[in-house]
Amino acid sequence: MNKNRKTIACLLATTMLVVLALSGCSGGKSAGNTLSEENGGSTNSGGKAETVTITHYTIDSEDRTFVEKLIPDFEKQHPNIKVKVEKAPYEQFDSKLQTLIAGGKSPDVTSHWGYGGFAEYYNKGMLLDMTDLMKEDGFKAEDYNIPENLMNIYKVKDHTYGIPVNMYVTLMLYNKDMFDAASLSYPTSDYEDKSWTYDKMVENAKKMTLVSDDIAKTQYGVDFTWSERDMRPLYFGAEPYSEDTWTNGGVPSETYFDSPEVIAAYNKLFDLVFKDKVSPSTEWSKSVAGQNGDPFVAGKIGMSIGGSWNLAGANDFPFKIGVAAVPWGGNDKVRSTLYVDPLLILKDSKHPKEALEWIKYLITTEVQEKSIDLSGGNPPVNTEAAEAYYKHFDGIDPQDIKNVYEGAVNYGFESYNHLITNYSQINDMFINELQPVETGHKTVEEVMTTIQKKVTEIIHR
Amino acid sequence: MSTVRALSHRPKDTRRRRKMEPIKILSFITLVVTTFLMLLPLFFMVSTSLKSKREMLKFPPSFLPESWQWSNYTEIFDTLQFGTLYKNSLIIAGFSVVGTLISSALVAYGFARFRGKGNQIWFIMLLSTMMLPYPAIMIPQFVLFSKMNWIDTFFPLIVPAFFGSAYNIFLLRQFFSTLPEELFDAGRIDGCGEIRMWATIALPLSKPALATVAIFAFIYNWNDLLTPVLYLSSSDKFTLPVGMSSLTSSRFRIPPWHLLMVASVLAMVPIVTLFAVAQKQFVEGIVLTGIK
Repeated sequence: MNKNRKTIACLLATTMLVVLALSGCSGGKSAGNTLSEENGGSTNSGGKAETVTITHYTIDSEDRTFVEKLIPDFEKQHPNIKVKVEKAPYEQFDSKLQTLIAGGKSPDVTSHWGYGGFAEYYNKGMLLDMTDLMKEDGFKAEDYNIPENLMNIYKVKDHTYGIPVNMYVTLMLYNKDMFDAASLSYPTSDYEDKSWTYDKMVENAKKMTLVSDDIAKTQYGVDFTWSERDMRPLYFGAEPYSEDTWTNGGVPSETYFDSPEVIAAYNKLFDLVFKDKVSPSTEWSKSVAGQNGDPFVAGKIGMSIGGSWNLAGANDFPFKIGVAAVPWGGNDKVRSTLYVDPLLILKDSKHPKEALEWIKYLITTEVQEKSIDLSGGNPPVNTEAAEAYYKHFDGIDPQDIKNVYEGAVNYGFESYNHLITNYSQINDMFINELQPVETGHKTVEEVMTTIQKKVTEIIHR
Repeated sequence: MSTVRALSHRPKDTRRRRKMEPIKILSFITLVVTTFLMLLPLFFMVSTSLKSKREMLKFPPSFLPESWQWSNYTEIFDTLQFGTLYKNSLIIAGFSVVGTLISSALVAYGFARFRGKGNQIWFIMLLSTMMLPYPAIMIPQFVLFSKMNWIDTFFPLIVPAFFGSAYNIFLLRQFFSTLPEELFDAGRIDGCGEIRMWATIALPLSKPALATVAIFAFIYNWNDLLTPVLYLSSSDKFTLPVGMSSLTSSRFRIPPWHLLMVASVLAMVPIVTLFAVAQKQFVEGIVLTGIK
């Protein structure tokens, strides 16, 4: 009896002590915080070099948190600015950002690194209009070797809301070992080589496909994951969203998912799986590579069309790989999707000026070059730094990567995924509605009317 | 249990006991098979944790690693600050368990032993808090803790545990209600106050229930991802789930599954240990009190 009582008293006492001790620490720290915030206020009103702290909010993964390593150098150059990195895992990125803003702890600099996209942030009024800030600063894109057309992506009605930092393109990765085994010649990286067509790709794929009852022996010629599902018809020249999408803040006035051109385009793609049988079904891919895995990485696919982020793991693949141009599919202008990530300043930022200083630092040639290695292969938007990026991958000819990147820019089209409002909902809807087509239970014609109706609903939500 | 009952029915017939009935053999086989099936994912977890980066990508996957990469187990400490994460998780889960036990047991005791005005209404109100999903209170709670300057500290993760939780209170209340009134009468005759009766009669007799609550609280806080993600922002304060989910966070890279499995194996250790310890308590509780 007595012993028990003692233990409980002890437990209570220790908890109290620890709680007290911990709160003591936090009290001291919070005092420091308020102090620096006060100082920050005075810098803005034209004071001297007093310290301001800005926060950079990002995904907690090595290819994003590398910016932490750049901070010491930046702080040396800007003694009055301190940078703090806040991070969250990919899945929780958006919910934490929303909570931070709602809780009055808005970060200063971030990007659309979660599921939500630029258009969504813009339409929710989360972004700062950087136009005046940049004018005051004398910001010129050419000083950072950023092509003007990339700058335009994040302009809405002539107001700038973001500055590009990374650019991913669509490219084809191919398994050299499988090409050798089928004694095929490697595909070209030259976008101007007009003999490299979609039909030629299917022809190659047929020679590498081997369907067997033994799942371990089965392999397919091609996996065509060009862009997001809703955007794929564009590859064949069929436009699913109206032109004005890009000029009015991500709200297309019309969509054409039930048009004969779009339906024909989808049919052509599903033919790869059901008629030509050179592409894996989604079930097969999942069984080989797991829910979000890529069967190409397991060495089961000859050619894979996808985003250039697929290159990032290339040095670890258990086979030899090459990069090639996306074959010509029937659209004279568009063959590659560009995924340009911007840096954004949030509207609730208390120190937009300092935030711009940090953004400018991140896009200078020297820092962009350094970032390639630190991040493990993020493609820079700065064209001069891009030269270093082309040389980053072991066993792949830098010239090939350069060709593919330059061709992708010439034939590139900015991805819809960040530029249409409520995009994460559109994307989810697409995945769900197309599922019966992917499993062969419904035809494209049957689902497209529903999709057309639902897209319109989501856009005007 | 069934063996005990069988014994009491036929205490002398030892030969019958040794000879197994066909139904028993069948259930034994079923048990062995299901155990094997249950252990298979666990086996793959340990096996993958010992594979090399290249081998983990192979299809079909190999059962046992070709070369045993014991170095994975040291590598995780370099790539993830694994030690710090582990320590943080232990601190948070540990304090939360203590907090949950003290507060929930105290409140539950009150609900079980005192009859007052509006007793039922308060209890229903308490239970109705279980229906509030976390996202509904996420932002107001964040604003509150942010006003208290508790962001990026462990407080928002530990302190709420000291204010009880509906489910655990309910569980303990039901248990306390089953304790015979005579025990407390005896206590009262000996001159015990209510707090003392709580600490010296109710708690020691409730070890099985307390062990259950402790396990629930520990597992919940050990695995919790969203709350630490919201409140913590410096890497040296992160918890294990936050660190581990960062391994799969890159959209652009193949997750290092082998390292993730190493982390999972190590993350399992405290839960298994707790189960072992609490189970002993659980059994002891029944044996010592003789109640139930």
